[in-house]
Amino acid sequence: MYFFLLGVSHRTAPVDLRERLDFSSRDLGAAVEAVSARPSMAESVVLSTCNRSEIYVASTDPARARDELVSFLSDYHHVPPQAFQPHLFALENSAAVAHLFRVAAGLDSLVVGEPQILGQVKDAFQSAVDKRCVGPVLSNVFRWSFGVGKRVRTETALGEGAVSVSFAAVALARKIFGRLQGRRVLVVGAGEISSLTAQHLRSQGVGDIVITSRTHAHAEALAAEVGGMAVPWDGMIQALASSDIVLTATGSPRPIITRMQLEAVQGRRRSSPLFIIDVAVPRDVEPAVGDIEQVFLYNIDDLQTIVQENLSRRAAEVEHAESIVNEEVTKFMAWQRSRGAVPTVVALRQRFEAIRRAELQRLEGKLGTLPPDARARVDEITRLIVEKLLLEPTEQLKALPDEETQAAYTEAVNRLFKLHDPVGSEESRPSSSESSPGERRGR
Amino acid sequence: MNTLPLVLYAAAGVAYAIHFARRDPAVGRAATTLLLFGALVHTFVIGMQTMEVRHVPFANPSRAVSTFVWLLTLSYLYLELTTDERSMGVFILPVVVVLQTIPAIYPGVEYADPVLDSPWFGVHVSSLLFAYASFGLAGMLGVTYMLQFKEIKKKHLGYFYTRLPSLQILDVMNSRAVAVGWLFLTIGVIVGVVWTAQARAVAPNDPNLQAMSLDDPKIFVALLTWAVYSFAVFARRRLGWTGRRAARLSALGFAFAMLNFLAINYFVTTSHTFY
Repeated sequence: MYFFLLGVSHRTAPVDLRERLDFSSRDLGAAVEAVSARPSMAESVVLSTCNRSEIYVASTDPARARDELVSFLSDYHHVPPQAFQPHLFALENSAAVAHLFRVAAGLDSLVVGEPQILGQVKDAFQSAVDKRCVGPVLSNVFRWSFGVGKRVRTETALGEGAVSVSFAAVALARKIFGRLQGRRVLVVGAGEISSLTAQHLRSQGVGDIVITSRTHAHAEALAAEVGGMAVPWDGMIQALASSDIVLTATGSPRPIITRMQLEAVQGRRRSSPLFIIDVAVPRDVEPAVGDIEQVFLYNIDDLQTIVQENLSRRAAEVEHAESIVNEEVTKFMAWQRSRGAVPTVVALRQRFEAIRRAELQRLEGKLGTLPPDARARVDEITRLIVEKLLLEPTEQLKALPDEETQAAYTEAVNRLFKLHDPVGSEESRPSSSESSPGERRGR
Repeated sequence: MNTLPLVLYAAAGVAYAIHFARRDPAVGRAATTLLLFGALVHTFVIGMQTMEVRHVPFANPSRAVSTFVWLLTLSYLYLELTTDERSMGVFILPVVVVLQTIPAIYPGVEYADPVLDSPWFGVHVSSLLFAYASFGLAGMLGVTYMLQFKEIKKKHLGYFYTRLPSLQILDVMNSRAVAVGWLFLTIGVIVGVVWTAQARAVAPNDPNLQAMSLDDPKIFVALLTWAVYSFAVFARRRLGWTGRRAARLSALGFAFAMLNFLAINYFVTTSHTFY
């Protein structure tokens, strides 16, 4: 059984092609069902995000499966194969395992370490499980990949620190206010970035969002968009007095919030902390405002500096994360090989046991005269000898370094001991104890 | 007898420091486990001493320090387990370890002075020790607040920014710790005054009781400490002194409390020497 994947990602394909091959906007379950309906797919999982569409497959005939996948992509998305074939990438076995682990760890993401991807990998796997398209091969490798994703997140700082201005602003707000529930936000100036940050704050559960703009209609439009309340421009200072977070983004050539104005309202605010995010250029808030005791003032440059620092900190963690992924790939492959040796080991044991029993049977006439406890001891001793003889070969078979060596050893053991069962093929492998009842066994 | 808790506290302190630097959750759990174990052993030590002298051991300064450390550890554990926030252990454990060194080196002997055979004595000292433990937490929260505040205000988001909780959480916990400490400090001082008056009637010639006046440095600094925390409580509610100002006040107050509890207790006072 071969494990491989075929797909496009932000590394190989332009965005318009990725959009055409996207599964995420449609029913993922239907897509994975359609894939597994093709004859040579034993197991399949479809992973689709805005940056990638990848199909993971277990098959006994990888060359045919690959052709079927290309025609599937073409049929399903109504795109001619020649349009996407130059952008496809295909990986097999350990390279495919390494890719999945890197994806789950966030190493293959456009923004390295972004947190959503692990959840997306889990969802992709779950919808394949729901449609009974997963067997032991994909089940093992995907479950292992969840552990890798988690390990990279806890052992490295790969996912730490905000990497966009609006995320950085929200992260700061959380470090100042803790939970943002019930915090009042004032947005001054209704532009693109105000809208983004306001929506982001809304998703964090802030309380009222009050919006004001020189052009009242703009304020009302943004208020409708983010579920806030528009107030007239001359009510800004009034609104400031009752706010915890202020976001300014006007096109004003001169500061619209001065230190004097703010000091005047700080008394009414009972000096509770005020976080001002000034994303306007030129700045909307006088820099001296940041000197007031409980006021935290960040302008666009400050936030961009934070984003840059976070990006370089993440970049510094990539190496560590890669080494974890490599370590896990090695562990996984070794584990899988040790499982591959199981049928040979079982057959070998059965053979030895059969010989032992046959010999005991043959000597039955001589042993029959022994008292029962002595007979039991003979049985015990012969069993122990067989165990001892098999101990080292079993260990060695499970620890073989690669598949070729494993095949050679399996062949040798089969011949040396005349093991009848054609060991090493998928059919004879014991089914995985980890696979859940809903999953399909390998064909 | 106080050495075993000291060793466990020191081990926990090292674990908290490693946890703070590396943010490895397993090390964090190990730190908490060590501290819990240390507190358990310490509880046993104090229990033994209580049985021995038939009141909680705190008439002798070293034993009082030991009891204080015990209360501080329990208060910190309460804070940690209720907030699920381990990052402050690295700030409180050095205080715990340094203070616990005193009873470990000078165990002190607790005399059963008949003057102390009064329930008022127990209420007086336990209130004050508990107040000091609260102030210890508040002071530690104040220090962490100032570290976090500085990084956010100066826009250098660095080492502490990622490790410490939000300013709001630190401020709220500081406020609670100061309020609880102030309440117990007030009770302790009032009970002390009442008990002194009663004891004087019983033992008019006791030198300790004769020295009980505002001229005594321990009593004077205690009232100063009370004034600092009273102001902190008042200023937070009436003047809006939250955040960094409150943090500074709680650090200052704890400095006074420790000055009184250690330097003055051991070397200067004449009024509280029941040993």
